[in-house]
Amino acid sequence: MSLSPTDITIFLLSISVILFFARGFGELLRYLKQPIVIGEIIAGIILGPTILGTIFPETFNSLFNQSEEVVIALNGITLLGVVMLLLISGIEIDLSLVLRQSKVAVIISMLGIIFPFGVGFFSAYFFPQYLGLTDYNMRLVYALFVGTALSITALPVVARTLMDLQIFKSEIGYLIMAAAMFNDLIGWIIFSVVLGMIGQNSEHPLSLSSLILTIIGFILFVLLFVRKFINYSIPFIQRRFTFPGGVLNFIFILGFLGAAFTEYIGVHAIFGVFIVGIAIGDSVHLKEETREIIYQFVTNIFAPLFFVSIGLRINFIENFDLVLVVVFLVLAFAGKVIGCSIGAYMGGMNKNDSLIIGFGMNSRGAMEIVLATLAFQYNLINEKVFVAIVIMALVTSISSAPIMNYFLKKAKTRLRFDMLLKNESVIFTKENSKYGVIKELCTYVANSKKLDLNVVYDEVIKREETISTGLGNHLAIPHARINIKEPIVAVAVQPEGIEWNSLDNLPAKLIILLLTPADKPEIQLKLLSDIAKKFNDVALIENIVSSKDSKELISKVKQL
Amino acid sequence: MIFNRIALAITFSPNGLPLLKSAVRLKKLFGCELYLIHVGEKSSDQEEKINDLVKQVGLSDTSYKLIWKKGEPSKSIINAVTENQIDLLIAGALEKETVIKYYLGSVARTLMRESPSSVLILTHPEPEPKEFKKFCVSVDFNELGETAVKKSYQFAKLEHAEEFVLIKEFEVPGLAITVYDSGSTSDTEKSKHEWQKEEEEKLKFFAKEMNLVGLNYSTVALFGKQGWEARNFVKNNGSDLFVVPSPPKKLKFFDKLFQHDIEFILSQLPCSLLIIRN
Repeated sequence: MSLSPTDITIFLLSISVILFFARGFGELLRYLKQPIVIGEIIAGIILGPTILGTIFPETFNSLFNQSEEVVIALNGITLLGVVMLLLISGIEIDLSLVLRQSKVAVIISMLGIIFPFGVGFFSAYFFPQYLGLTDYNMRLVYALFVGTALSITALPVVARTLMDLQIFKSEIGYLIMAAAMFNDLIGWIIFSVVLGMIGQNSEHPLSLSSLILTIIGFILFVLLFVRKFINYSIPFIQRRFTFPGGVLNFIFILGFLGAAFTEYIGVHAIFGVFIVGIAIGDSVHLKEETREIIYQFVTNIFAPLFFVSIGLRINFIENFDLVLVVVFLVLAFAGKVIGCSIGAYMGGMNKNDSLIIGFGMNSRGAMEIVLATLAFQYNLINEKVFVAIVIMALVTSISSAPIMNYFLKKAKTRLRFDMLLKNESVIFTKENSKYGVIKELCTYVANSKKLDLNVVYDEVIKREETISTGLGNHLAIPHARINIKEPIVAVAVQPEGIEWNSLDNLPAKLIILLLTPADKPEIQLKLLSDIAKKFNDVALIENIVSSKDSKELISKVKQL
Repeated sequence: MIFNRIALAITFSPNGLPLLKSAVRLKKLFGCELYLIHVGEKSSDQEEKINDLVKQVGLSDTSYKLIWKKGEPSKSIINAVTENQIDLLIAGALEKETVIKYYLGSVARTLMRESPSSVLILTHPEPEPKEFKKFCVSVDFNELGETAVKKSYQFAKLEHAEEFVLIKEFEVPGLAITVYDSGSTSDTEKSKHEWQKEEEEKLKFFAKEMNLVGLNYSTVALFGKQGWEARNFVKNNGSDLFVVPSPPKKLKFFDKLFQHDIEFILSQLPCSLLIIRN
């Protein structure tokens, strides 16, 4: 069987159309500060039966339904797309990060799985009629699927959101990433078992117990032996073969082998490639640039083919069931946000931070859609459920960033100097000695925060006497670590300047008192470097010092 | 005082004498007490051997204390360390061990992981012990990290070290994944650059807060897998003592399997290693 010249033309044409629309809508969504993947799915809906198929059925059919061969070829290529997508998802899982992070990450991800899984499982098991179950014989498997579907977290969307909110490199960011990675891993293992259960009638049926044993055996084999093998091989390949070609090939060969194996035992191909991806990503020899090349290549060419193809299969308007959509949305939000927030809270975080984590972990994104697509292909769910799950994935992903942002604004953990600054904590002083100003600032802080003035003052002076805190550029930051829970900032302005022993001999005009928790040195370092980075210019400080009142000063600081 | 009571796990291997010499040198340097721990049956024959060693290095009978222990070596040594409130344990170790030994755990590796005291591992104890000249200290921004820097800085001053480098590693897990969705490579590069600057700045403030006076020091911030990057830096830099604060939790078998942080260093020691514990 081979493709006729017409088939080949149509095949290539349809791929170009798909990529063109995917890029167009992807960029549009990016412009709207939303995940690109959403744009790709929208592109599929527009190109598919929902819009194009309804308005110009002929164009639609000639592009995507021309002949069986073309459809098979397109399916093959989207399969490749999803397999590669899971390869890179695996590569990004960093098990040592999970190990290193305190038990908080484990609690968050465990509750972030167990709770939504429980919510999904029991709702689907006891009220299957509201969740679109059609075949009652499949009740158990279906309930397991819904549980899994609700407990997935999409790492890429989470990562992107954290990056956009500028908390990617922060304690809370690490925590969310570690929890999301662990979550991904457990989620896919559960799902592989569910898929194996549905795939009982595949060509190589295994009993459930031997299937689970095979899956566990496969995971252990890959993570223990293949991982070591990869770690020893990569430096060898990088030395002996062309770079990065050799490594790229090596990675894809192993990935596809893993995929072939799991497909053979009746669990979908993506599971194998995901586990192999984890083993690859763990290698310290894998260069950052190799990772990025793979990512660029997969996410810009192959992944869009897969995401657009979702819309090509189904009419989203015909299969839109409001009740189902609402039920899935409510369950998804409730399960994940409550589960993760409780986990974070139990792990010792405050309410606000717990909610940030809860909503941060809520985005489902691409992974959920992969899961739904497979379940749909295996006939476990019907079109309506599929549409509901896709919408749920989109809504949870879009809503994640704005909601997190809302709580982040309240969070002091974000630790930016300007966010700690309040109107009343700015003093325009007439004091003209170093000790006088420090005393004035300490008195203000001690009174407003109910601290012992002597303790605060002594600590600040003790610190001041070791090395001067005059940073130059008319700026001084007297500081100390004392027994408090959250950092405290107060600012004094003295336009005439006070002698402060700065390196550049300029008198201090802007004096920032910084008090941070004694047991957390990093907070102090972070704030000190934040302040030093912002106030790095004499003219700028002169400008701030010339403010008429604290309101004006703060607004100037916030613009930095 | 940097350390009040140091101990050496004494053996009759070829390295026994050089190690003992190093321990005696450090005892004098720190001005502290020296304990010798020997695991084995106490017999006149063994006592003879130890006496012989001790005489060779010119230790008087009152200047050290000998402790005999029976049983499994690493456990016995750790017990002796706890019972006698040793704050620095000295031992010799190979730079790298066979895979099997690594997973099962040799005596030296077990001591590094589990001793309640600080541990100094000498990779090349020489017949005539030399001073440590090039110090590298891995920095953690926490209280133990501060202790590690303070102690090693005092140590370096006693040694009149030529070089004292503070290293801060930082890792941003999952960074590549942000190009996955709407990120561009230049964005990640930019962020990486900014983070690098921020870490360097923080490290400089850290050093300043520590008030390190008397010896020049330099600071380096390294982006990459923690433990691994520092290890390679130390190796390439040709340092002769690498100081690390101990990890907050006890390392288990699982941590050897999925190496992270200090395990990268333990599996292939770049040079002599000083692990600081509280």
